[in-house]
Amino acid sequence: MSVHYQAVGWNRQKRIYDGVMGGGVALYLGAFVGLGAWVHPQATAETLLIRGLGTCALLLLHVILSIGPLARLDARLLPLLYNRRHLGVTMFTLALAHGVFSLVQFHALGDVPAPVSLLTANTRWNSVAQFPFEILGAAALGILFLMAATSHDFWLNQLSPQVWKRLHMCVYAAYLLLIAHVLLGALQSERSPLLAAILGLGCMVVTGLHLAAGARERRIDRERREAETDGFVEVCDFHAIPEKRARVISLGGERVAVFRHDGKVSALSNVCAHQNGPLGEGKIVDGCVTCPWHGYQYLPDTGMSPPPFLEKVATYRTRLAGTRVLVHPMPCVSALKKEAAR
Amino acid sequence: MRPLREVHFWTWVALAVALALAFLLGLGERPSSTPVNPSIEWEKTR
Repeated sequence: MSVHYQAVGWNRQKRIYDGVMGGGVALYLGAFVGLGAWVHPQATAETLLIRGLGTCALLLLHVILSIGPLARLDARLLPLLYNRRHLGVTMFTLALAHGVFSLVQFHALGDVPAPVSLLTANTRWNSVAQFPFEILGAAALGILFLMAATSHDFWLNQLSPQVWKRLHMCVYAAYLLLIAHVLLGALQSERSPLLAAILGLGCMVVTGLHLAAGARERRIDRERREAETDGFVEVCDFHAIPEKRARVISLGGERVAVFRHDGKVSALSNVCAHQNGPLGEGKIVDGCVTCPWHGYQYLPDTGMSPPPFLEKVATYRTRLAGTRVLVHPMPCVSALKKEAAR
Repeated sequence: MRPLREVHFWTWVALAVALALAFLLGLGERPSSTPVNPSIEWEKTR
């Protein structure tokens, strides 16, 4: 958390994360170009670089898309989420380099400007084998540009978390466009079944992970709990919640994180005010509920961020009956916007 | 937040179908890389 905007709030974890990412990208590109030149000595350096950048971006996109559901299915993988935006911006940079080099290589030497050539050179829209697949890649690059350009917290605040989240869900459309770009482009000339199998496997892994994580979320949403006469709902036994950790439940369709700390329980909305991260998968650090995604903090009893921060999440009334934990399904504060907390 | 989770889930169901169709179309229509054998009558039309 930070009071002021800065380009990147660097810390040790981010440096390690970016170091591993940068090293991995350099290693991949080096190996791709080196092995490519060895296996296909007739291939030009430009072709190898264009393909290396494209495949690296696509591989990184699969990693990025897998992190979210993996972290939902296994909490030990939550640290991968911490700096996912850097992965996204790196992936966009690689895809942009692939696009620019391709434009220069294949469209810059004609009579018309390269972007015009890209859009008009091939109009065989009714052919699968000769489809103008480049346009699909350009459309995906446009979406990825919008996402990379708005990835900073400044834009998150300007657009609101809801709009920002919806905008960034456009990555799924970009993913479909990119798979079609590869299927109708490179895989029409590269006939190796191995390449098609690798792409198919990547799609199945990403889709399977999202569907498995989504099905798990739907099961939690569909849990039914009977209210007692005073409206409170039994959640679980006090000892079933680990100290300084939470149990996440669904109350009236909303996720509530019930934390145990210092011999008592507190219930907060499970949705972080920053990027809608799952607060219930975080823990209490220095007396504050700490979001596992980016470390935003809230006081467990009030749902307010410690001064000077202004974020706020809804809280719920709790009660202990013996060792039974009970929560009232109506939130104490319905307005989540920080303006309401001022 | 629940509607967004629902949208997310159904988006991936739709994506799974769209990706399967893209694979069928993209790989199914690829012309064969095997050269035509002119001594076999039906291969001339391939």
